[in-house]
Amino acid sequence: MDGGSNVEAWRGAVSPAARYAESGGASLTWENLTAVLPGGGGRATKKLVQGLYGYAVPGRVVAIMGPSGSGKSTLLDSLSGRLARNVVLTGKVLLNGKKRRLDYGVVAYVTQENILLGTLTVRETLTYSALLRLPSSMRKSEVRRIVDDTLDEMGLRECADRHIGTWNLRGISGGEKKRLSIALEILTRPRLLFLDEPTSGLDSAAAFSVVQTLRQLAVDGGRTIVSSVHQPSSEVFALFDDLCLLSSGECVYFGDAKLATQFFAETGFACPSRRNPSDHFLRCVNSDFDDVAATMKGSMKLRAEAELDPLLNYSTTEIRERLVEKYRISDYAMMVRNTIHEITKIEGVVEEVIRGSEASWFKQLRTLTSRSFTNMSRDLNYYWLRIIIYIVMAFCLGTIYYDVGTSYTAIQARASCGGFVSGFMTFMSIGGFPSFIEEMKVFTLERQNGHYGVAAYIISNFLSSMPFLLTVSWASASITYWMVKFRPGFSYFAFFALNLYGGVSVIESLMMIISALVPNFLMGLILGAGVIGIMMLTSGFFRLLPELPKIFWRYPVSYIVYGSWGLKGGYKNDLIGLEFEPMMPGQPKLKGEYIITEMMGLSLNHSKWLDLAMIFVLLFAYRVTFFVVLKVKEAAAPYIRVAYTRFTVKRLERRASFRKTLAMTSLSKRHSQPHPMAIQEGLNSPMPY
Amino acid sequence: MRKGGAAVGAAMVGREAAVAAVAAELEDSAGKAAGAAAPALSPLSETLWRDRAAAGGVLLGDVSARLAWRDLAVTVALGTGDTQAVLQGLTGHAEPGTITALMGPSGSGKSTLLDALAGRLAANAFLSGTVLLNGRKANLSFGAAAYVTQDDNLIGTLTVRETISYSARLRLPDKMPWEEKQALVEGTIIEMGLQDCADTVVGNWHLRGISGGEKRRVSIALEILMRPRLLFLDEPTSGLDSASAFFVTQTLRGLARDGRTVIASVHQPSSEVFTLFDCLYLLSGGKTVYFGKASEACEFFAQAGFPCPPMRNPSDHFLRCINSDFDKVKATLKGSMKTRFERSDDPLEKITTSEAMRRLINYYQHSQYHINAQQKVDEMARVKGTVLDSGGSQASFAMQAFTLTKRSFINMSRDFGYYWLRLIIYIVVTLCIGTIYLNVGTGYSSILARGACASFVFGFVTFMSIGGFPSFVEDMKVFQRERLNGHYGVLAFVISNTLSAMPFLILITFVSGTLCYFMVRLHPGFMHYLFFVLALYASVTVVESLMMAIASVIPNFLMGIIIGAGIQGIFMLVSGYFRLPHDIPKPFWRYPMSYISFHYWALQGQYQNDLKGLVFDNQDDELPKIPGEYILENVFQIDVNRSKWLDLAVLFSMIVIYRLLFFVMIKISEDVTPWVRGYIARRRVQNRRQRKVELAARSPSLRGYVVDVASLPADHP
Repeated sequence: MDGGSNVEAWRGAVSPAARYAESGGASLTWENLTAVLPGGGGRATKKLVQGLYGYAVPGRVVAIMGPSGSGKSTLLDSLSGRLARNVVLTGKVLLNGKKRRLDYGVVAYVTQENILLGTLTVRETLTYSALLRLPSSMRKSEVRRIVDDTLDEMGLRECADRHIGTWNLRGISGGEKKRLSIALEILTRPRLLFLDEPTSGLDSAAAFSVVQTLRQLAVDGGRTIVSSVHQPSSEVFALFDDLCLLSSGECVYFGDAKLATQFFAETGFACPSRRNPSDHFLRCVNSDFDDVAATMKGSMKLRAEAELDPLLNYSTTEIRERLVEKYRISDYAMMVRNTIHEITKIEGVVEEVIRGSEASWFKQLRTLTSRSFTNMSRDLNYYWLRIIIYIVMAFCLGTIYYDVGTSYTAIQARASCGGFVSGFMTFMSIGGFPSFIEEMKVFTLERQNGHYGVAAYIISNFLSSMPFLLTVSWASASITYWMVKFRPGFSYFAFFALNLYGGVSVIESLMMIISALVPNFLMGLILGAGVIGIMMLTSGFFRLLPELPKIFWRYPVSYIVYGSWGLKGGYKNDLIGLEFEPMMPGQPKLKGEYIITEMMGLSLNHSKWLDLAMIFVLLFAYRVTFFVVLKVKEAAAPYIRVAYTRFTVKRLERRASFRKTLAMTSLSKRHSQPHPMAIQEGLNSPMPY
Repeated sequence: MRKGGAAVGAAMVGREAAVAAVAAELEDSAGKAAGAAAPALSPLSETLWRDRAAAGGVLLGDVSARLAWRDLAVTVALGTGDTQAVLQGLTGHAEPGTITALMGPSGSGKSTLLDALAGRLAANAFLSGTVLLNGRKANLSFGAAAYVTQDDNLIGTLTVRETISYSARLRLPDKMPWEEKQALVEGTIIEMGLQDCADTVVGNWHLRGISGGEKRRVSIALEILMRPRLLFLDEPTSGLDSASAFFVTQTLRGLARDGRTVIASVHQPSSEVFTLFDCLYLLSGGKTVYFGKASEACEFFAQAGFPCPPMRNPSDHFLRCINSDFDKVKATLKGSMKTRFERSDDPLEKITTSEAMRRLINYYQHSQYHINAQQKVDEMARVKGTVLDSGGSQASFAMQAFTLTKRSFINMSRDFGYYWLRLIIYIVVTLCIGTIYLNVGTGYSSILARGACASFVFGFVTFMSIGGFPSFVEDMKVFQRERLNGHYGVLAFVISNTLSAMPFLILITFVSGTLCYFMVRLHPGFMHYLFFVLALYASVTVVESLMMAIASVIPNFLMGIIIGAGIQGIFMLVSGYFRLPHDIPKPFWRYPMSYISFHYWALQGQYQNDLKGLVFDNQDDELPKIPGEYILENVFQIDVNRSKWLDLAVLFSMIVIYRLLFFVMIKISEDVTPWVRGYIARRRVQNRRQRKVELAARSPSLRGYVVDVASLPADHP
């Protein structure tokens, strides 16, 4: 309760907040801000936030508080320019007195989720991010210095060399993860930082450390920080400078956080002494409590405990209305407007536009490849588990077809061995699915922040996975090749291994495409398995190519699946030049060429190397498709979001539940609880072990 | 109420009487309590208990639960063989009609204490000291007390009312008329304030359902259905917003006021929530910081020299005083930043949290609160009260199996990902197969095509069953929770799962089998068609059962899928299509692998089914036609002497075997594994003790579970 308890004294003089603004940096003001979700299709127009005034000045932390559904996220999104397209925003948002586009990449925005690659250490995460975004001209030592400074600034020095942690690897704590997410955003030294509920999910000490760090950033760096916050503890609340309290989209209080208790007391809702002020404020304006009280009265005998809570005498709706009304005509509101006026008068330096990334394309590619490779080599699930399974399978195959020979039945055996290798072995690529999806999440986030381009990502992914896929195919090819005793000769072996590599890479690309398209793991699994199954069916093993129905299956499907090319090449590689025992003894020996043309129905017009080349052409085509899919997805995303919002609103309107009054809560997707099956948690088996 | 209990207790001291005498005494006192002491049972609970007594002839007595614990200590054996004292010398009690909050920073042992009291400690944790329920040594595992876990494992496709009423049918006695059960369900819904969302689905990954607070209340509702007198809750408010948290706690308080004993571990309650607790057990580093009335805690802290500043939530203040993580936060911030902390008037700024913690623990040891608690516990130990019966299921096995089957069926029919999605994919894949092998005919080339078609259908189509794995895992989570609470047996689960999946599997295989059969025009004739569809059904079911058995052994979801795929791949390899049966290497692969492989039996049967009796063209028209029997023997190398129906029978017996395996696996993981783990932990500890004990390196994480021993006072017991 320090200083300035007398509001009157501030009249006329330059308000303290404006004095902060004079120090330079980024000052953000907003006036009469109203966000509306337009109606249509028989729906009423919804006001998300209404007539808000406020400011954020360098050196101070603004906390946006309010019950769920009060418009916290809408306000934060409007200020940071991330509002959904279908929401209409009116009013002025000024940066240093000027209207600016605060779009992606211009301001730093820390999302609620920590989307990080779990296998990297804290320092690596920061370094890679720095290399991706800082100008390429910067020397290595400079980058290292910036990373070290950031580590110090965020208090991450102690855990700098520890892993972030994946589902099977215990890593840094939640508070440290959050601080790392903030560190990633302040790498490029933005003057303006937005945070979406940085403390939720953290325990009191961790939350305290995060907010304390934010405060340090504000004070030491002269940064402007705006953060929405959900139920802060007493210690955390004491760290905020300015408070913006919202309820159902209206402003209940804006101003110095220390003066808020005074305002509540003046209005007649003094905070009891043994109570956290922020808890008290939320209690006063959270209309959910009305519903709680109503439900409880209906269902339980309150046993004369009403006096327990004096606020139960009023409905929160009444309290809220009184507070909003009182605030509108109070000195606090007037002071805010004065301050906004003063701030807009100050000629500030206009913030330089921070582009998403200043690194050159090649630098991005190099960094991404290196990061992706590190991730793959450390994630057990990504490739190592599969390599083991591949080797085991190769041994099984090798023993079953051991020394296949040149008898009559060996013809069929050689063919089916080839079919199994190219069919089933590639099938196991499904195992990498969870890791793909995890990586896609990181990509989506970084892409949104403009850290790098789609092409750089796709090429880097291809390059970094190459060594693993080569290992996989080389290992299983050599085991199978030598055990089964396919046609001897190094070039034959090389062809066999390359053929397998091509096949596995193609399937891998296909899986990437699917993981970009499906919403979750389950769908990906089923869809992936279905597509691979159909590919196998048309590859010429289960049904010989000439017998495939001409329409659709033969042209074009059999040409766009890698399997047909792989099998053709494989048969030619193995059979040409060999001679087999005839079906009946005494008949002439069967030549490989005869088998291929007559029994398999394949032509010998082009060489096996052309078939191999076709696989690589397909690989290229699939990667291009992946690129197109990502691009289209990006372009279409806003429209999908609009449709989703419409759908959600419609659905919520029909719902009968005590939270129905807060229909707009769920407009922001970020509050929807991720389903456990989504990605990581579902990976843990339900059984105790 | 408490006074009455004490009086009865005094009257009974030293009376080592027969059960009947005690029962009479208790009945007497219960009658008095119900008549005189006002806040006894809610009307609902009361009726239930009276009915229960009347119906079952169970002795009606003082059914309240008085829980006391003395000198409780828990030691955990770490993987390295070190031991770690998680709890030390805790004494406390919980009485009917009150709600006790266990509070403390993360890693202070509050969950361990809750687990210790509820008898749910992990196998590698060793408990010493006594836990007394109504003066007797308590055995609370598997259902005797209700325990609400932190995560709500509910079936997402059921509505709230359905969830509760299925649970009622699973556990309430068969004898109870349905109307009464229904009344009880409705009563519970009202008691938990779930009326408004009673007909809303709980929600899963594609269904939007009830809110988090509502889910939590449904979880609690499920546990109070059997009207337990003792209720444990692990962090019932975490993850909820303030209104929901308040509502949940208010509900708990209502439940307590009905004469129940409620113990909940709580993490950072808000001011409103904190005021709802009666008793507070404050833990730090496994030691008691405070035990007593929640309302007197502020006074205690003030006496100890740490008064709660104004405008501060008392619980925030307590946690601030005893959370040693704050020391680390301060150290980190000081090390890396320039500015100092403000608010120098705070006593906590001058000393470290560990120092404050030490002072508080010492102060408590010599305070009146501690002495009071000990006296009370002694008193409670002397009174031997009723033995509470188990809260586990009272429904018959048949009822359990029936209800579970029904519930599981409804879940499967509503969950899009369980079978419907697969049905679509199956139809798409079989349509592809159908068009590719369309009207296969009896030409020379169709011999191989028919073989390949059968192999693909039985190999890859069954393979798609792995798509149901995620949904199955969800099911298992629910099973795990209900099993731990003793709702039903493993056998009932296995049977119900088999039965409820059957219609869907029949539907899927019937539809796709029919499509495939008629498009490809396999061997005409109804029996041939029936065999094909049945064989497909059996194969798909075997795969499902195999995946279930794998799920119960492999601890990880992804590994389950990969290993399942690997096993199926090997089975396929030895099925006789990829390598002809006679060519498969004899040791291992032919005997026994190909006989274990279900693909082998399916293919043997299907080849006979399809080819026997057909005549195929030869390569040239001049050459004689080839009978199917010849092909079977010479091309596919199939034993034509064995009937195809025998092959089918083998497939069906495999279903039974795999289901049995699944049952055995669950039993093993339930009974044997904990025993083995406990045994290993004990051995490790013994070995370690013989050598010189060395402290394990600890993670400097803020949320590290392991307590920093060095920061604790050395002089403390």
